[in-house]
Amino acid sequence: MDANPIVLDDAAGDVVVVVVEGEHDIYTAPTLRERLDEAISRRGGIVVDLTGATFVDSSVLGALLDARRRALEAGQGFVVCVGDAVEPGVQRILDITGLVPVLPVVNGRDAAIETARSGNGAGG
Amino acid sequence: MTPPPDVRLTLPARPEGVAVVRQALAGMADALAFDAAVVADMKMAISEACTNVVVHAYDEDDGVLEVEMSAGESGLTIRVRDHGSGIRPRGERRGEAPALGLGLPLIAALSDSYELTGTAGRGTEVKMTFEYLREGDPADENPVQGSVGDDGRWDPDARGTHAG
Repeated sequence: MDANPIVLDDAAGDVVVVVVEGEHDIYTAPTLRERLDEAISRRGGIVVDLTGATFVDSSVLGALLDARRRALEAGQGFVVCVGDAVEPGVQRILDITGLVPVLPVVNGRDAAIETARSGNGAGG
Repeated sequence: MTPPPDVRLTLPARPEGVAVVRQALAGMADALAFDAAVVADMKMAISEACTNVVVHAYDEDDGVLEVEMSAGESGLTIRVRDHGSGIRPRGERRGEAPALGLGLPLIAALSDSYELTGTAGRGTEVKMTFEYLREGDPADENPVQGSVGDDGRWDPDARGTHAG
């Protein structure tokens, strides 16, 4: 059993959700990159749900920023979401890097799916 | 209260070791009177320091990552050390995705003080101190500058959307 799973949820149809749970760092970043690649290859919007994540470091941010760039270049929406209660090991790095508006990070998966579906400004 | 003993870890400089170091630190912090927010900062900073060793220090896989944690009167001092060349990221040589380049700015923002020492070819040491009772947020004093650049790496000169 994987204590730090990263799985794709395509229940939303045209938007695929990459569900990231547990602790993630340089060890799991290659897996995250693989999942993000797979999500991008489906050609729809991408949501990365960090609600169940307890720790993410700059290796994870690097993977998210790379995926975001490629998604937006391809005209696909890209949004990160968190839950109502965000772990300090996730909130802190998002806050001090100023990446909340950049990624962007929104509250709640449903809102994120809607934003990603609209392409969140991709391509202008 | 008797402070916890100094902890010294020596492990292979590989990605799977970083979480082990983080858990050891969490155990050490449990024995000390740290606020949960400071523990979160410590875990982040030590992860970034160890990641730098894993990514930058060695040409091959047989390098060593050394971590020391020492509880003093006013705080916890953490040293993360390698004995490598520190020339360029190993991942780049393997064709892997380059590191974001955010490790040291994060360490500076999250620790109450930090010091980077070392010489080319002889290894590098990052020394970080975390105080039991913080007077302020170190991220206010040493904010992470910049934002992500067009190449996907962190650009300290880029205009971020955050204060500082």
